[in-house]
Amino acid sequence: MLLRNVFTKTVRDLRWPTFWVSLGCGVMTAYFAILFPTYSKLFDLNAILEKMGPAVKLLGASLGDASTLIGFLHIELFSMILPAAMVAFAAGMASGFTAGEESRGTIDVLLSYPVSRARVVLEKWLAIVLACIVVVLVLWAFALTGAAISASALPPDRLASALVMLVLLGLAFADIALAISAFSGNRGAAIGVTVALMVAMYLIDALSSIVDGLATIRPLSLFRYYMGGDPLRNGLSLGDAAVLAAVAAVFLAIAVVAFERRDLAA
Amino acid sequence: MTAAIETRNLTKRYGRSRGITDVDLVVETGQIFGFLGPNGAGKSTLIRLLLDLIRPTSGGASVLGLDVRRDRLAIDRRTSYVPGELSLYSDMTGRQLLTYLGNLQGHVDGAYRESLIERLELDPTKRIKSLSRGNKQKVGLVAAFMIRPELLILDEATAGLDPFIQLEFEHLCEEARDEGRTVFISSHQLPEVEHLCDRVGIIREGRLLAVETIAGLKERALRRIEIDFIGTVDADAFANLPGVSDLVVRDGTLRCTVMGSVDALIKAAARFEVRNIRSVDTSLEEIFMAYYGSGEAADKSAAGEASHAAA
Repeated sequence: MLLRNVFTKTVRDLRWPTFWVSLGCGVMTAYFAILFPTYSKLFDLNAILEKMGPAVKLLGASLGDASTLIGFLHIELFSMILPAAMVAFAAGMASGFTAGEESRGTIDVLLSYPVSRARVVLEKWLAIVLACIVVVLVLWAFALTGAAISASALPPDRLASALVMLVLLGLAFADIALAISAFSGNRGAAIGVTVALMVAMYLIDALSSIVDGLATIRPLSLFRYYMGGDPLRNGLSLGDAAVLAAVAAVFLAIAVVAFERRDLAA
Repeated sequence: MTAAIETRNLTKRYGRSRGITDVDLVVETGQIFGFLGPNGAGKSTLIRLLLDLIRPTSGGASVLGLDVRRDRLAIDRRTSYVPGELSLYSDMTGRQLLTYLGNLQGHVDGAYRESLIERLELDPTKRIKSLSRGNKQKVGLVAAFMIRPELLILDEATAGLDPFIQLEFEHLCEEARDEGRTVFISSHQLPEVEHLCDRVGIIREGRLLAVETIAGLKERALRRIEIDFIGTVDADAFANLPGVSDLVVRDGTLRCTVMGSVDALIKAAARFEVRNIRSVDTSLEEIFMAYYGSGEAADKSAAGEASHAAA
């Protein structure tokens, strides 16, 4: 069943990484949701954040209100750990889609079958979209289960909004990695450049409110669109979502064209 | 009738020395065509151009009458390819891989696939990564033959096969030809393909030197022959024999190079008492020399002669 076409074959290739990333993110989120009442009884989290002052911005926690579960999750998970995990997963997998087949030499056999290069890229891309959606669905279910166990309020739709942004952020970076690897055939370069870009963009966004000058280039950071509209509190910002989707689409198109035009490695 | 493969001034340059230059090759349908040349001569480059894995610097090519750039998918539906350095998805079993590739192709005769698995003695339940080189090659060959392609492109595809499987592979090629299909097989070893191919093309340093029948090639082939005699022999008895050159008779041993038939030499030798005959098969390089005795080739020949004498 999973051997029907390039899409299903890629789903098959991604099944274990997807399983472990889903489980890891899900368990981590459930853990924080279950322990939230305990934490908030022991510490006045908002006071702690207050005391840390501007340094807390490095953690991207500026928007959090730690007295609610949703604010707590924002500070603990959505500002840094989850986007880093999502980007690492999506971009890590996508960087190997064409470059991996090239370096292993399997691309020669694959393309000798009636499958176009564009189709190879697009079907593999579709598989990483599905994988990212699976990760956030599991995460959503684990988070709500955790919240139910600790009897904390966690609006499912607000959580879903943040997870949509998480998927879009992951896909935007995945497509950047895909484009670099399709253009260069070099998986290492694709991973390296994409991670460096992610870190730079994260820092620009996190520090833009405390470092003068960064604010002007903040729109260049994808993190600005990811949590900038605070979807956990305000719901989905269609404008921000559209920016991430557009970046993803542009880099996907670049990947298709770059892969189509190039001499493939022997 | 359209040719199975036709290239027109096909050129691919990378860097300085690699690549191919102005190759005009026509392979008619319904034959087994050997594409011969030493390693690095440009065999794989030409094949990868035919498959559109790389793009020509200039010139063009068509396969089954279809342009390799424009009609890619139509060509892929009717051809199959086994690369020399065959890489397959190593976490799959042979059967899973054949299923996947069959699905990509769209039409596979299941009964024929099973008969191929049996004939090549492939164990399809093993994971690719646990297979030896020869067994991996079998998976590639089953995948290539199972779709009954009109053109099979095999790039050094028989390396690592044991002799029995090699024979079965040759039968498969002959069956394909007898059904009017075409087999294009590259090799750097003439003996590997000489009894199989109807015609051969020879490529060296990126240039197609000749397209010949095997018989025509053999007529021009050089062979180094040594004959040990009991008692003394008169060198004059071997003078001016047709096709014989580089004749040396010393210490009861005759050494010479023969082009084409050895008949005259053997008949001349039969007048004396012969203890032993050694024949060194011609390498491709020597055939190239016979063909196109360039200055470089003559130098190599002299060097070979020198080392021969030293031995």
